[in-house]
Amino acid sequence: MWYHRPAINEELLQSLPNLKVVASSGVGIDHLDLKLLSSYGVKVSNTPFIVSTDTADMGMTLMLASARRLVEGHEMAVSPDTEYFPADWLGTEVSGATLGIVGMGVIGYKVAERAKAFEMKILYHNRSQRKKEEESAVGAVYCKKIDDLLQQSDFVLLAVNLTPQTHKLIGKRELELMKPTATIINISRGLVVDHDALVEALQNKVIKAAALDVTYPEPLPRDHPLLKMKNVIITPHIGSATKKTRWVMMEEMAESIEAGLAGLPIPHEVL
Amino acid sequence: VGKKVQAIYMWWHKPVINKELLQSMPNLKVIANSGVGMDHLDLKLIASFGVKMANVPHAVSSTTADTGMALLLASARRLVEVHNISISPSMDYSEADVLGVRVAGATLGIIGMGRIGYKIALRAKAFEMNILYHNRTRRKVEEEQAVGATYCEKIDSLLQQADIVMVVVSLTPQTHKLIGKRELELMKSTAILINISRGAVVDQEALVAALQTGVIRAAALDVTYPEPLPRDHPLLKLKNIIITPHLGIKTEKASYMITEEAVENILAALNGLPLPSEVLPS
Repeated sequence: MWYHRPAINEELLQSLPNLKVVASSGVGIDHLDLKLLSSYGVKVSNTPFIVSTDTADMGMTLMLASARRLVEGHEMAVSPDTEYFPADWLGTEVSGATLGIVGMGVIGYKVAERAKAFEMKILYHNRSQRKKEEESAVGAVYCKKIDDLLQQSDFVLLAVNLTPQTHKLIGKRELELMKPTATIINISRGLVVDHDALVEALQNKVIKAAALDVTYPEPLPRDHPLLKMKNVIITPHIGSATKKTRWVMMEEMAESIEAGLAGLPIPHEVL
Repeated sequence: VGKKVQAIYMWWHKPVINKELLQSMPNLKVIANSGVGMDHLDLKLIASFGVKMANVPHAVSSTTADTGMALLLASARRLVEVHNISISPSMDYSEADVLGVRVAGATLGIIGMGRIGYKIALRAKAFEMNILYHNRTRRKVEEEQAVGATYCEKIDSLLQQADIVMVVVSLTPQTHKLIGKRELELMKSTAILINISRGAVVDQEALVAALQTGVIRAAALDVTYPEPLPRDHPLLKLKNIIITPHLGIKTEKASYMITEEAVENILAALNGLPLPSEVLPS
């Protein structure tokens, strides 16, 4: 499976009686009905670890690009109408700012490792607290309540997986807790953020900007307000989209398929 | 009015400091620049009038390093290209074939390992990049080890090995057109050139040709010559380029810190004390 296609439903499974394994690209499996697949005796695999570094890099790319107004700046630099660069055209400092990471799994932790090199102050919110050594290595401070993280962060980065608990994790209430100078970065799943609330928050300057590698749906309808906002960067779910990583993903998926067909234990099986 | 002026704080290369201005300000003691580059000033001329000069090296280094990293990541992951795809009115795009370059494990060649270059190395290390550097002088071993950087005495060696070349030198007669046809041809055809120093360090005509013919993969320029480029310049028409409007130090925080550092220097000069960051004509 690539990019959630084909859609796996009852009709498809009934029409493929010899289906043994579904190899899904990437780490997220929120698009798959695991119980349904299990009831048909179909095994499922993903590619959990290879995507982590590139996805963390994507989070950092979005944060830097948004803070320094890179896309806007490029447009100004190449626009036929530009005569000079205004002296008071400013972005937001990343070095030394506070980054709040929501979801400190493998990807979240890699983001923290990178952000530390920018002398950022790192806060994190996670289902469980990380070990002290892991926290010290990146200088991250645990926020048991997400509110504390939201209120103190200059950048809020979402790196959770999509579950019933994280669905619309960031809504009107959470956005209002954020600083008006804050930026939200989403590299998890579109559904983690209430898009209507996000649009309203951006329009009313409740927060400063957003940078999204994921939306719901993907792609957004062409008349969606998020597409027109100057303070929004949107990328087409390319967290893992580098040549090297995609190559390894393909290899891992092929391995899982071969194992599944041979009746052997499947690498990266999702249970 | 000119006779009352004792200090000038420059913002974006203004006012223009020439003989007429200096003659009209006999009591001028110090010129503080709101940045670190001094290539727009005639240092010998200013010194000949007994006026001291200062820049603000401490205030700018992190912010400029951040700009370098922003351009590095944006060009590796084709950010501008894919953002435009995401918001374009046409729904016809295939995600699968917009692949970027993996940064982790890639080789970054830093040309100019001063304060800013070193901060870039610190950041790049966290991205698991291999770091090469070329500099007028070699850094101390401890400094190299702290960022895992390998010295390339010859720039050619760096150009041949790097996946990403980042130019972070100051503009001097020696660095003028440092990156020209020869240097671009030494680079890998899959390499990306990033310039956050001064436009004149890169031979722009040679760069256009190199980008058009695939001699290098892409470029990201925060600085050009002139700024902005004429609207019909060939660089503006290329697909594999990101150009930013000299973002270098343009953040609110940096502006504040720059002004603080400049004022420190001005006050020192007015009080006859040594300047914290005096710049002497070389």
